[in-house]
Amino acid sequence: MSPPSPIVSAKGVVKRFGPVTALDGVSLDIAPGEFFGLLGPNGAGKSTLMSLISGLKSLDGGTLNVNGEGAAAGSAGARRSLGLVPQHIALYTDLSAEANLRIFGGLYGLRGRALEGRIDSVLEAVQLADRRRDPVKAFSGGMQRRLNLAASLLNEPRLLLCDEPTVGVDPQSRNAIFEFLKERNRAGLTIIYSTHYMEEATRLCSRIGIIDHGRILALGTIDELLARLPFEEEIRYPSGPATAALAAELAAFGEVASLDGTDRFRPRPGYPLSSFYAITERHGLAPRLFTSQRPTLEALFLQLTGRTLRE
Amino acid sequence: MHTILVLVRKDFALLFRDKVSISLTFLVPFVLIYLFGQVFHVNSKDPGPSGIPIAVVRQSDDPAAARLVEALQAVKPLRVVTEFVNPDKSTRPLAEGDLRPLMRADAFRFALVIPADLIRQDGIGIHLRTYSNPRNEVEAQMVNGILQRTLFSSVPELLGRSLQARARAAVGGERLDRFNDAVAASVARTFGGDAADIRARMAAGSFGLGGAGTGVGTAQPDRPAVRDFLSSLVKVEDIQVAGKDVKSPSATMLVGGWAMQFLLFALTASATALFSEKASGIFQRVLSSPATRSDILWSKFIYGAILGLVQLMVLFLAGQLLYGIEIGPQFPHLLLVCVVAASACTAFGMLIASVSPTAEAARGISTFVILVTCAVGGAWFPVSFMPEFIQKCSRLTLVYWSMEGFSQVLWSHASLAELLPTLGRLAAMTAALMALAVWRFRRGRIFE
Ligand SMILES: Nc1ncnc2c1ncn2[C@@H]1O[C@H](COP(=O)(O)OP(=O)(O)O)[C@@H](O)[C@H]1O
Ligand SMILES: [Mg+2]
Repeated sequence: MSPPSPIVSAKGVVKRFGPVTALDGVSLDIAPGEFFGLLGPNGAGKSTLMSLISGLKSLDGGTLNVNGEGAAAGSAGARRSLGLVPQHIALYTDLSAEANLRIFGGLYGLRGRALEGRIDSVLEAVQLADRRRDPVKAFSGGMQRRLNLAASLLNEPRLLLCDEPTVGVDPQSRNAIFEFLKERNRAGLTIIYSTHYMEEATRLCSRIGIIDHGRILALGTIDELLARLPFEEEIRYPSGPATAALAAELAAFGEVASLDGTDRFRPRPGYPLSSFYAITERHGLAPRLFTSQRPTLEALFLQLTGRTLRE
Repeated sequence: MHTILVLVRKDFALLFRDKVSISLTFLVPFVLIYLFGQVFHVNSKDPGPSGIPIAVVRQSDDPAAARLVEALQAVKPLRVVTEFVNPDKSTRPLAEGDLRPLMRADAFRFALVIPADLIRQDGIGIHLRTYSNPRNEVEAQMVNGILQRTLFSSVPELLGRSLQARARAAVGGERLDRFNDAVAASVARTFGGDAADIRARMAAGSFGLGGAGTGVGTAQPDRPAVRDFLSSLVKVEDIQVAGKDVKSPSATMLVGGWAMQFLLFALTASATALFSEKASGIFQRVLSSPATRSDILWSKFIYGAILGLVQLMVLFLAGQLLYGIEIGPQFPHLLLVCVVAASACTAFGMLIASVSPTAEAARGISTFVILVTCAVGGAWFPVSFMPEFIQKCSRLTLVYWSMEGFSQVLWSHASLAELLPTLGRLAAMTAALMALAVWRFRRGRIFE
């Protein structure tokens, strides 16, 4: 059995804004049913890629097919079966929730009973049915985010593009959005989710592309990505005069990197942690200074770029 | 089309949601025209300004000169001043030499001198001098019009007498008498009537040569210059022939210009709403749906045109209610002119939005362009006041042609056929402006 044809297929995609090359040869395939994470810092090119996939902008190079049938991004067919959740709250905040949904549903040719049915269903799904007549500007940030999401589901898309949909969202709404998206994904919706929070990507996505400066630096499942790190554990402690001697001694047993006032010690594979604690004790450093971490996407990003995701 | 309608409905939903702007939409035209009418002293019973002072100096003993003064005194909008008040409160007739100092002191802004050589011997026409300080252009235009109308309608024999005098000088008295006898006899034979009576009327000059015109020169206080009387003939025709049965001529004439200025500002503002939709990311949402950029632009256009049409109609309706502007049977034609005028203004607003990088820039650019085109187009004062080359520019403005349309409909009750060239010009301007705007929008960043 051959694998299903990808719902998004990018080959060498280039997008420039004047002198800025926002996407510099992006190639990736996304299979139907995937929950794909696009992880990268601000300015990496996530939104640009999203807008190319949704056909808002034209490519300067490469090919980009959407919707599995080789339809070019932006074609009528591709747009009809796609939902974009913009990074900003793209709603008419003076209008009520349902008035907004009527407008956006109308753009997909929905009307009458069918439209009202879809509005009921998406409002129910994001738990805003009881606030449907209130103007959007009276909503909390989290509620607006949920409605922003709901508005992108009116046309029952096959592919949902979420561009940092949890920015400025309270934890409760955030969880609600996560659970909702996971549930939709289980029901078969393909989702591309961009974020600069590695926790979100780790929690939600089955496959992740790490993007920086318009290039995909790494692509794979979490396990595949983390396997690329040459260590299994990372120990962090505050860097300073008190720990300078320790860092010098540890360098013999692995790699020590200092970043943002924190030293990160990555022991060589097989290095026993017992001897690490023996050394710290000798330096008179209390155990609570040290935290041990499994390798993370953050660490991978650091490894790949020498920077942190939030820089 | 469904998409465009959804977007148009959206704009109206936004408008109706906003109580302030909805009330402004309908209230502003009312307030505007009310204030406007008050400023220009317009009301339905008494057209034109009341009591504009005008000094009259009579140097001619000709009975026609006396009749002209009487006629001017009977014109209600004017307050005729013929006497100079000495410090000791005694009075004497005004002399031409009094005019400049008094005008500099702003005792009055207009003066008419009826010189001794009222009937020109050296050419056809009558000889008058006017002094004006056209501080208020509208007022100046009105006074000018009233003067000419009065001259023309009250003392028509002046013109005939002038023709007779010219003929006498050219062919000699005896031959002229023979000629007049022959003409009178043939008129009597052809049309009936008494040859002697006709002959007497010809001698008095009153044989109704309406078309030959009268001359009123306009002089600045510091540089008196008498204009060739033929050049003002057209103005006489304008005021006398057209609009003679319009109830409220001054209001009708000026409302159109103000309407256009108001509309241009309103519709440019509505076009710049594109910027706020861009900023909120709504275009991303809309354009990721099957809707296209053209859908967005045309929906804005349709919305603007409808809004403008409604505002114009409210404005004229207010004019009717407050100042007795007669719309009545002209309604269908007025509606047509309003449709093209509103469309043209909307297209203008869209072009401004399409060439501006930001909403602020659009406001700046539009304020400048609107004020200039309104001035040049004749919204503030009549185009005929402006130098030749500016008058040529006037005809390039949509303000000019919209006002032309309004006055054709309300002033001269033009037929559809007469109206078509104006409608066509406005439609062509709309198409050109929209084509430019769409082209600019396609290339611009507003949808990126
Ligand atoms: N419309 C635009 N005009 C100019 N530069 C842009 C535009 N959109 C994005 N960029 C630039 O392209 C790069 C990628 O931006 P973006 O895709 O928004 O990043 P992200 O969404 O990952 O934060 C940035 O350097 C950004 O400044
Ligand atoms: Mg972004």
